[in-house]
Amino acid sequence: MATELDNIELRPARREFLKSAAALATTLIAPGIILYKTGHASNTPGKKPRWGLLIDTNALSESDVDACVSACQREHGWESDPDSRTDAQWIRKVKLTDPESGHQRFLPMMCMHCENPPCVDVCPTGASFKRDDGIVLVNKHTCIGCRYCMMACPYKARSFIHETLKDQLPVAPRGKGTVESCTLCVHRIDRDGSNAIPACAEAVNHGDRKAIWFGDLHDPQSEISQRLQALGAVKLRADMGLNPGVRYQGL
Amino acid sequence: MLACLFGVVPVGSVIAVDEAASSFGEVVIPSPTKPADASDCVEPVDVMRRDHMKFLMHQRDATVLEGERDSKYSLVGCMDCHNPAGVSEEIIRYENPKHFCAECHAYTSVKIDCFECHADRGLARSEQSSLTPNARSRVLSAHTFSQKLEQARGD
Repeated sequence: MATELDNIELRPARREFLKSAAALATTLIAPGIILYKTGHASNTPGKKPRWGLLIDTNALSESDVDACVSACQREHGWESDPDSRTDAQWIRKVKLTDPESGHQRFLPMMCMHCENPPCVDVCPTGASFKRDDGIVLVNKHTCIGCRYCMMACPYKARSFIHETLKDQLPVAPRGKGTVESCTLCVHRIDRDGSNAIPACAEAVNHGDRKAIWFGDLHDPQSEISQRLQALGAVKLRADMGLNPGVRYQGL
Repeated sequence: MLACLFGVVPVGSVIAVDEAASSFGEVVIPSPTKPADASDCVEPVDVMRRDHMKFLMHQRDATVLEGERDSKYSLVGCMDCHNPAGVSEEIIRYENPKHFCAECHAYTSVKIDCFECHADRGLARSEQSSLTPNARSRVLSAHTFSQKLEQARGD
C-alpha cells in the first residue's frame, strides 16, 4: 500500500526536479540572473489553461446540490436512481454529518479532473485520457468497457452503461459498453473558453450569489485563482497526490 | 404427349422465375432526399458520397482529443440538416430504412455503430425548448448547419 502511494508521489516530484534543472540551465546561459521559479512556475499567463472548479459548500443547501445533479442530467441526458449501484452517476450528492454536533453539509461530487489521474494510468487502450487543458475524458471510440478506470478512481466518479440507450443528446454521445463521467461540460468550454459555465454551476449561481466558480487554475488573474489565493480550499484526499482540479471550500 | 410435356414445363418455369424476380430479386437504388430547406452540402455531392466517412473519422478524433468543434464535418451537423426531429410525426431512427444514413448503408451492406452512442436525429423543437435558453443556443450554434437551418426557418 505504501509503495503504491509512493509511486503516485514520485511523478510530481520528478517533474519538479526537471523544472528546477531547466531553471538551473537558464542561470548558466545568463550569468548574474538567478531564476528559482519552481512549483508555481506554470502559473504564467499565455500558458495552456487548466480548467477547474471551486465549490463553496457554505453556499450550498441540499436543494442546491439536487439542482446541480438535475442540471447535469438535463444537459447530458442521463438519468438514474441515486441509490443504484449500476446507474450512471456523473455527479453525486454527498452528505457529510458531524457525529458530535449533528451538523450536516451537502456537496456535489463529480470527476475531479486530476493532474495525475489514476484512471488514465490504468487504461489499457488509452481511451481514458487527459486533454491539454486538464479535462479528463473517456474517448468512447477506443473504450472497450473493461472498467479498470472505475476501480482506479478514488472518487467513484465513473460509471458504466449497461443498457442499450436511445435518443441521446447531440452534445453528449453515450452508449452501452463504455465508461463515462463528468466532462466538465467540455462542449461549453470548447465554445466559450474561460467564459463557459458548466451546467452544475449555472444551476446554483444566481447573479452575485455564487456557489461554484469555473476558471483557469493556471491563470493567477482568473477569478477562481484569486479566490483560491485569498480564501484557500481543500483538495479531497490530497494525500494521494493526484492534485484534483475540483476544490472545495467550507469543509 | 412428350411434346406436350416439353411445351408445358418451360412455360411454367419461366413464369416461376418471373415471380421470383418481382418478389425477391428487385433492387431499389436508394435516392436519399435533399433536406427541404437547406442549400448546399458541406462538399459537392459526389465528394460526400465517396469520402463522408473519412471526413467524419478525422473529425471524430479532432473533436474528442483536441476539442475542435468548429469544423463543418460534424455528425451533429449531418443529422440536424438531414434528419431533424419534429419535421414529421414519425421519429426516423437509424433502424428505419428511411433514415438518411440507413438508406444507402442498407444498399451497400455497410454496418456502422455511430448511432449506438450518437444521436441519430437532429434536435426537435420540443427538446430544444426543454434546454435552458443558454444551453439551447450553445447546442445550436455549435455547428454551422444548425445556424443555417434556423436562419432558413426564420426562427
